[in-house]
Amino acid sequence: MSTAATEEITLTRKDFISDQTVRWCPGCGDYSILAQMQRILPETGVAKEKTVFISGIGCSSRFPYYMNTYGIHSIHGRAPALATGLAIANPELSIWVITGDGDGLSIGGNHLLHAIRRNVNLNIVLFNNRIYGLTKGQYSPTSRPGTVTKSSPMGSVEQPLNPIAVALAAEATFVARSIDSHPQHLAAILERTAEHQGASFLEIYQNCVIFNPNEWTELSDRRNRDDSILYLEHGKHMIFGKNRDKGIRLNGFTPEVVSLDEVDLDEILVHDATSRPLASILGSMEFPDYPAAMGVIRDVRKPDYGGEMMAQVETAQAQRGAGDLNQLYLAADLWTVEEREEAEEREITPVASDLDEMPITGLDEEYIDEMEKPAEVLSEFQDLLVTSTLAELEPKVPITMGKRSSLARTIRQMNRHNIGCVVVTDEEDRLVGIFTEWDVLNRVAGLVDDLAQQTITDYMTPDPLTLKSDLPIAQALNLMSIHGFRHLPLVDDSGHPTGIVSFRDVVGYLNEALEEE
Amino acid sequence: MTLQNDLKSELVSHLVVSGFSQVAAGTPVRNTLARMRADRQVVCLVVDGDMSAAVRLVGIFTERDVMRKVIDVPGMLDRPVEEVMTPDPITIGPDASAADALRLMDENHVRNLPVVDRSGRLLGIMAHQAIIQFLADRYPVEVLNRPIDPEQFPRKAEGG
Repeated sequence: MSTAATEEITLTRKDFISDQTVRWCPGCGDYSILAQMQRILPETGVAKEKTVFISGIGCSSRFPYYMNTYGIHSIHGRAPALATGLAIANPELSIWVITGDGDGLSIGGNHLLHAIRRNVNLNIVLFNNRIYGLTKGQYSPTSRPGTVTKSSPMGSVEQPLNPIAVALAAEATFVARSIDSHPQHLAAILERTAEHQGASFLEIYQNCVIFNPNEWTELSDRRNRDDSILYLEHGKHMIFGKNRDKGIRLNGFTPEVVSLDEVDLDEILVHDATSRPLASILGSMEFPDYPAAMGVIRDVRKPDYGGEMMAQVETAQAQRGAGDLNQLYLAADLWTVEEREEAEEREITPVASDLDEMPITGLDEEYIDEMEKPAEVLSEFQDLLVTSTLAELEPKVPITMGKRSSLARTIRQMNRHNIGCVVVTDEEDRLVGIFTEWDVLNRVAGLVDDLAQQTITDYMTPDPLTLKSDLPIAQALNLMSIHGFRHLPLVDDSGHPTGIVSFRDVVGYLNEALEEE
Repeated sequence: MTLQNDLKSELVSHLVVSGFSQVAAGTPVRNTLARMRADRQVVCLVVDGDMSAAVRLVGIFTERDVMRKVIDVPGMLDRPVEEVMTPDPITIGPDASAADALRLMDENHVRNLPVVDRSGRLLGIMAHQAIIQFLADRYPVEVLNRPIDPEQFPRKAEGG
């Protein structure tokens, strides 16, 4: 084997970002899910080349374009069918099926059921926003009764499907739920979904900011979400509430919410992810009558379809030898189809030119109207997050070090200016790296004998994420919250560093903003 | 609505506070650094007493101290951590509001506040990161759901 093949490559989030412009509406919950997926995939240790995203049709189904992995944007509802074939033929792949409430539960409901029932080794992620978003706002199979949409102007009269209950009815071996607005929880559950062997089913409550923006408000509002969500942990009591003062008790077959002030802890249910009946109970707990159960609802190990099937093939081959496809073809009755002599040539109508002349009307304009509709009045603070630019933080001019600078000189400069972070530039003053206090602690202190002999390039973080100063503050918050970056360098169009913003700068600015007015 | 208003109604115990490393007083600086690297933590709390039983917080040692007091001071690696830590750090209780925590940090020019409950248990480190996380969760439409790279344009047609 060549060295290249055996060399271990550590992937980062960047490796999973494709070159495609993401075309979801600004504020769509899909962005949060995409960011978390790109964050956790490097941690699963699976190579990009062994990862495949298969989707059907819908907003969520645009996912494969944005992942720098293999992907198929397939037929409406049919992603589980394609994925099943792929998983059987290529058992070494890590296959994700990305679907939505319409694609997965209506158009492709049957395919979804059978992929789960067969326990095909897939990670199925269903984005549930309870609306058809791509087709501009019709009620979906998960919309609540009474939902008023363009296709249900007097309110939906249909009983919705409960995705968790559907998956359990198909005896899913892994069933979980999370929400787009809770990134830590989402990341942890995505990792669990990836780990499980067999069909993993994850429902994500996802916000359609244009056509159904208030669907998950009670569950996503940071101020009271902990009173609305029951975070499940295997082996732990089902306790919830912002002050962890409520619990779930079973009264006969019916769960009930009780106050821990009045009920002893030993009466509170303990989560057992291997219990099938308990999974049904948790799946049946609908918000707002109960808190929404989030986390891993069921996790059991059963043989997966591909493995079982290939074992049968091997057994058959051991008993009867490898098959011969030609022989199989010739085994049954054969006949020859004669060519008809008087076959008429059909006239082909020119289609393309007709299409060119068709006016583009209707839906696009409707969508534009919807987008441009005055949004609900944002609070001044929300407005500040998206309209104030990073330039308004008046970012500090960064201390720059040439890339051949020694560690000794760099650290002297940092201490002289009393700063925790410098940027590293090349001969043309373009930013090539960032070096922080953490790097000193993590890679230098007590590990490097002669600081003067070492150059900064070997110790810095190369090619850090950068921002331009005309971007909104929310963009910096986005990167800081997703990645925990404590310093974000700002650069101009030619890549020259122009500033640096830290956690403290952003929080300090926001904390004082609007107060003085 | 200002951030101040948001933070007044949010308790420190409701925030996602940061983790920390912990060493006993007397631990050499070298071992303290190794502990922090292994834990991937930028803050180390120095405690007195038996590690398993009740401990008393005697100091805090952070990456800042590494820069200021360790990295270019010869021989410091083998000295006990007490010589470079900040003794008797300012702490905050889990029932304090996030606004109070932030004010305490600003007034005292500290970046990390150990969160300690009434019985002396060390619960975590309050830092600016907790506020960043709070903002992301509180305003997901504005903060979380943003294009990954706002300036990215495709080199080729979609799906091509």
